[in-house]
Amino acid sequence: MTEIPASKLIVQNLRKSFRTQHSAEPIQVFDDISFEVRPSEFISLVGPSGCGKTTFLRILDGLIPRDGGTILLDGKAVIKPGPDKGFVFQDSSLLLWRTVIDNVILGLELQGISKREARHKAEQYIAMVGLRGFEQHYPHELSGGMQQRVNLARALIVDPQILLMDEPFASLDAQTREIMQSELLKMWRQTRKTVIFVTHQIEEAIYLSDRVIVFSARPAKIREIVNVNLGRPRALAIKRSQEFLALADRVWTLIEDEVLKSMGREQEGLA
Amino acid sequence: MITAVKKAPVLRFSWRSPQWSGTLSVLAGIALWQLFYDGLARTVYFQAFAIEHFFVSPWQVAESFVELYQSGELVRNCYFSSLEFFYGFVLAVGVGVPFGLLMATRDKLNNFLDPWVSCIYATPLVALAPIMVVWFGLGIFPTSVIVFLGAVFPILLNTYTGIKSVRQNLIDVVRAFGGTRRQVFLKVMIPDATPAIITGMRLAVGRAVIGVVVGELFGAEAGLGSMVYLYSERFQPGPVFVGIVILVGFGILTFVALEKLQRWLSPWYAYQLQRQVQGMEME
Repeated sequence: MTEIPASKLIVQNLRKSFRTQHSAEPIQVFDDISFEVRPSEFISLVGPSGCGKTTFLRILDGLIPRDGGTILLDGKAVIKPGPDKGFVFQDSSLLLWRTVIDNVILGLELQGISKREARHKAEQYIAMVGLRGFEQHYPHELSGGMQQRVNLARALIVDPQILLMDEPFASLDAQTREIMQSELLKMWRQTRKTVIFVTHQIEEAIYLSDRVIVFSARPAKIREIVNVNLGRPRALAIKRSQEFLALADRVWTLIEDEVLKSMGREQEGLA
Repeated sequence: MITAVKKAPVLRFSWRSPQWSGTLSVLAGIALWQLFYDGLARTVYFQAFAIEHFFVSPWQVAESFVELYQSGELVRNCYFSSLEFFYGFVLAVGVGVPFGLLMATRDKLNNFLDPWVSCIYATPLVALAPIMVVWFGLGIFPTSVIVFLGAVFPILLNTYTGIKSVRQNLIDVVRAFGGTRRQVFLKVMIPDATPAIITGMRLAVGRAVIGVVVGELFGAEAGLGSMVYLYSERFQPGPVFVGIVILVGFGILTFVALEKLQRWLSPWYAYQLQRQVQGMEME
């Protein structure tokens, strides 16, 4: 008898709507989102702009409340943020008044671990993200790519059960982004973390992930979950392979459909 | 590729440096003033209109300075005025910063106090000064109160704005690690708002110096403000200008010292301002 591995993360019937000043009716952001994530799986979320991917990720972390549904991480309900979840924010979320090493230890410091002990532990993570020698630099002395490395080390140091990444490479130039992608995969292999990665870049999603979840336009539902059956480890060159391009094309078509649909809806609304 | 952004090179002295141009400008202004006075002194109008009772040269100001210093009058006046400034300003920081922090973080308290802040802030200090003397008598106390009232609001309002404009992104970072409200406040809000709080103090310096002069107008034992009134009533412009120059110099020095403090406490602030400007250019 083979044991089916328990799911790391279970999301069931997640709902969210926002109230705005402009309309009496609350705006449905997403509705009835359900999926499961296996341990050490790398999942990407893509979808048309404004479909609520970031909102969804923030709800997974517990940063903003949900209207309904269940989130189970290792079988425990997620109600509030905490060190069991590592959140990697978009750019410029480093504390500008802290050095690299003091930014990295923030999560440990908040748990009440002494700065000395935390700094000692931080060195290993700073080395892992390739920033050895930059411990005493301030964020404004670093390039955008280096800032995001610090961001990553800061999320990893608390040894979270799951890593939630919100478009972490969105503001980087194309070359730096590619390097960061392959380095992220390297770190992922080392740490075996479960990752949920939000991005608007389809090829980034496919390159990194085991599965790509495609959201529909607002109110978002899961349009499709695309399996990425590419071998690992993946070289950057895989992005030019036939299989890769076929997958990218498929995801593109799904999103294009959704964008057209939502534009049509807006036209109706205007008429 | 890992490359650190280069630091700005150390500035060397240059005849074209802004500091030098500024010094040159002030020196030229003083020289023109002296030349103008000397020219005026050669005309018939000088005697006819008794101009020495209304107008002085920089040289005469310097002479008055030495006289006032030697008689001990200047030291005494400076001592009184700086005490007034010190008490009023320290109290303004001690009240303005905590109240700004409280009002920015407690909405109910803010709703309650906001009308009072607006009222007192809008009240002209000159109108309050006489009643302070009536209430508290002569001496440094009533003037310190005026200094306090002048300085407290820029500090309070800048502290409030500083806390209110802390980026949500940074607050979320601490919250995402399970940080408490207290930790958000101490680890993000206070450091992020520090430059704004010091900017408030810098704006308060000017108002505090005005407070010293206005407070002493309505009755004081001593002080630079009262010295200015006394000698203008006697038509002796020399000591009047000595008082003015010292008040201006003191204001500038304090302002610059606070700027240094701001750079020292928050060296990242200049970078953030620069990036905001670049961000606006991009849009």
